[in-house]
Amino acid sequence: MHTLETHPFAALFGVDESVATQALSEAMSRGAEFADLYFQYVRTTSLSLEDGIVSQASTGIDQGVGIRAVIGDQVGYAFSESLEADAIYVAARTAAAIAEGTKNVPPQHLQGRETDNYYAIDRDWDEINITERLPLVQSAEAMTRAMDSSIEKVSVGWMDRDERVLIVTSDGVFSTDRRPMATLYCSVTANKNGVRQSNGASVSRREGIGYFTEENIKAVCQKAVDRTMILFEAQRPPAGEMPVVLAAGASGILLHEAIGHGLEADFNRKGTSIYATMMNEKVAPDFVTIVDDGLQENDRGALNVDDEGQDTACTTLIENGVLRSYLHDRISAKHYGVSPTGSGRRESFRHVPMPRMRSTYMLDGPHTRDEIIRAVDYGIIADTFTNGQVQIGAGDFTFYIKNGWLIEGGKITAPIKDVNIIGNGPEALKNVVMAAGDAVLDDGSWTCGKNGQGVPVSMGVPTLLVEKSMTVGGVN
Amino acid sequence: MERELLQQAEQAVELALKTGANDAIARVRDENSAEYTYRDGNIEQVQQSATRGLSIQLYVNGRYSTHQTSDLRAASVARFIEDAVALTQHLAEDPHRVIPDAALYEGRPDTDLQSDDAAVRDLPREACIDWLKKMDAVTHTDDRVVSATADVYYGWNTSARVSSNGFSGIQSGTSIGYGASVTLKEGAHGRPEDHRYVRAHHLSDLPDPEAVAREGLDRALSRLGSEKASSGRATMVVDPEAGGRLMGTIWGALQARSIQQNRSFLADKKDAQIANSLLTVTDDPLMVRGLASRHYDGEGISARHRCVVDQGVLQMYYVDTYYGRKLGWEPTTGMSSNLVFAPGEKDINGLIAEIGDGFHVTSWLGGNADTTTGDFSYGFRGFRIANGQKTGAVSEMNIAGNFLDLLENLVAVGNDPNVYSSMQTPTLVFDNVAFSGK
Repeated sequence: MHTLETHPFAALFGVDESVATQALSEAMSRGAEFADLYFQYVRTTSLSLEDGIVSQASTGIDQGVGIRAVIGDQVGYAFSESLEADAIYVAARTAAAIAEGTKNVPPQHLQGRETDNYYAIDRDWDEINITERLPLVQSAEAMTRAMDSSIEKVSVGWMDRDERVLIVTSDGVFSTDRRPMATLYCSVTANKNGVRQSNGASVSRREGIGYFTEENIKAVCQKAVDRTMILFEAQRPPAGEMPVVLAAGASGILLHEAIGHGLEADFNRKGTSIYATMMNEKVAPDFVTIVDDGLQENDRGALNVDDEGQDTACTTLIENGVLRSYLHDRISAKHYGVSPTGSGRRESFRHVPMPRMRSTYMLDGPHTRDEIIRAVDYGIIADTFTNGQVQIGAGDFTFYIKNGWLIEGGKITAPIKDVNIIGNGPEALKNVVMAAGDAVLDDGSWTCGKNGQGVPVSMGVPTLLVEKSMTVGGVN
Repeated sequence: MERELLQQAEQAVELALKTGANDAIARVRDENSAEYTYRDGNIEQVQQSATRGLSIQLYVNGRYSTHQTSDLRAASVARFIEDAVALTQHLAEDPHRVIPDAALYEGRPDTDLQSDDAAVRDLPREACIDWLKKMDAVTHTDDRVVSATADVYYGWNTSARVSSNGFSGIQSGTSIGYGASVTLKEGAHGRPEDHRYVRAHHLSDLPDPEAVAREGLDRALSRLGSEKASSGRATMVVDPEAGGRLMGTIWGALQARSIQQNRSFLADKKDAQIANSLLTVTDDPLMVRGLASRHYDGEGISARHRCVVDQGVLQMYYVDTYYGRKLGWEPTTGMSSNLVFAPGEKDINGLIAEIGDGFHVTSWLGGNADTTTGDFSYGFRGFRIANGQKTGAVSEMNIAGNFLDLLENLVAVGNDPNVYSSMQTPTLVFDNVAFSGK
């Protein structure tokens, strides 16, 4: 345990115990049951390389404090970019007005909470000079160009982020976290006999600069090139319902859209999720176990502490086919009388926290990839994805396949492209008939949007077979 | 306030020049907003925000960079700009990066765009709560409702822009929006849902909150019993509210960046027929009360009315200074504004009455498009149309195709633009669209 006074973030934010506890007292002065302060300081550096030149560099500093007052399920929220004490108190009083009474909350002593570190890196990003970043994007461009003579255009994007948060709650506890993130994008346009195709790939992790070795950079560039070149041969698949094999890795987008969002507890406490009445019911075959995990080292979805100052965790959502838990924030955990799952997240100090996913994946199943492909007489296998969406109540979800293949007579045959898949969450879960033992997390730059807030996430699956139930957006 | 923002922007430009930049553009933006959420008889959330930020573009010895900060204390800004100029020195020279030509700033219009409504700035909390209660009451008039949420959002912003080559401008406006979303119970687990939201600069331009909430409830009720229809080719009626997402991809392909980076299916199509001659679209930044109205764009280029597509023939690309120089083209503007579609004769009901077999698309679900090839595939929900009548609700279906084919197959345009969006799409009817379902 340490005190706020001795913590380096106190100096960073220019806040001491008296200001923090006074702000909490103000936030609760109208009768709120709980209040928290979310101090955040973020530095970002991004680079964009086109036509062989780093055509744009950007830096950003964003800082402020978000203040929340909670009474039951009701929330008052305000923020201040100024970290002067008086500006913080004004925001606290604004948030307090969700309640309508009066309450005298005496100042208290704050206790610091220790957390594990799931993303230790060698050097923080704010210690890295621009001249150390430039060679990374330049080498990515050069490697990509050398991979195929039909490549006309290569653009490389880079973004690193050094985020520091200090969360102070009205139960007298403060938590801190320093969250790195680095993202490398590579986009390619190639021209063969006057026909152009474009595609791209990215890697995004809570890593330092040491991660970006020649080998790791090359892997992203190779993916971008391979995914572009295959498009020259790719066709649109036929339209309609058919079996869909999901390749290991990024196909975890199925879990994210079809199941994950529907298990966020805010939708369930309001009764608006299709899963609201399914807790402890069998929703999938025995071999299906799905978790949402904040503890994967250096993963894009990892968190040392959630944005409400709660320990993060690996939460089992579906265990051997049975629905076991929602993803909770403080409000929903209290509503349901369960322990929080460390899933309270927010985009920034300007936003209220709510239950969100971290890294959502399915554990290995009993089959092999070969068995799965052989089991399909006519269908598709989905490999890379761009985006997805879900309607929480109807349970209808979609994901967009950028690259995939047809499966004919138990064999992978022709490449396909640009296919939207639409299905229904509970229906798709029931129809997961095979799962292989090759589960892997995808490390692309996935950002999950909900109520206008974006947060970084990741996802993964082993190779899966979803029996005929989803609709393939092809052309007959 | 306006004077203060301009001064902050001027000071930032001066600092940049003093610390070694050859040219600089600074923008200071001040935004205020409040949002009230009401659910099932109670206020659920009240959020208030007041925010100010500085962004600066630097041109240093042929090198370029951009920077943003929300720490506006004088000492912090000085250090921030100094660091930013120093960083820029390390980049490579880019001959195409120059500050926009000052000649493009000339002739800036000064017509009253009516983007600002004092009634929005002065909106009392009690009025918002009253609307929320009324919307909540309307959405709970059916016993199949599981939960309904009503929202009111309003805000105002002011932005000052100053450049080292003589640009100085202030733009400000208010916005207000409200609506309701409704979730119903259907069967054991089903929770069909829909919503209706409207927004405008002026409070007086919005329909009555209870009418909006009623529409939200009616839309949700119309989702009951939705089914997947069979795959096949049919006519597609795109609702005015759904048109924006579909047409947005086309506007992405008209950007000079997409063309210069060889990622546009509309490259080399200027002066060519890209759509059925029913399609005429103008870009009107000076529309009174338009949601994207402005006197100048993000580069300071003076706003003017432009024809984008004339009877199906492509008239322009969106060209900014940087990609214009790379392409050897004169800049037009890099930013679209209000997009106005030349109207047809009928509204959506009149158009549906003429269709034998088709689908009315009310909203999209997921999907994407490739701007390089024009290929697309989108999920949607809506209704089946048979013999000129809207029949049952459909869900879990997709469309797929290529934008050039789709635009050629445009067979009717409505007279019912979506005025709650800057892309004011009317009903659009396309023939021979590939639908996938059962």
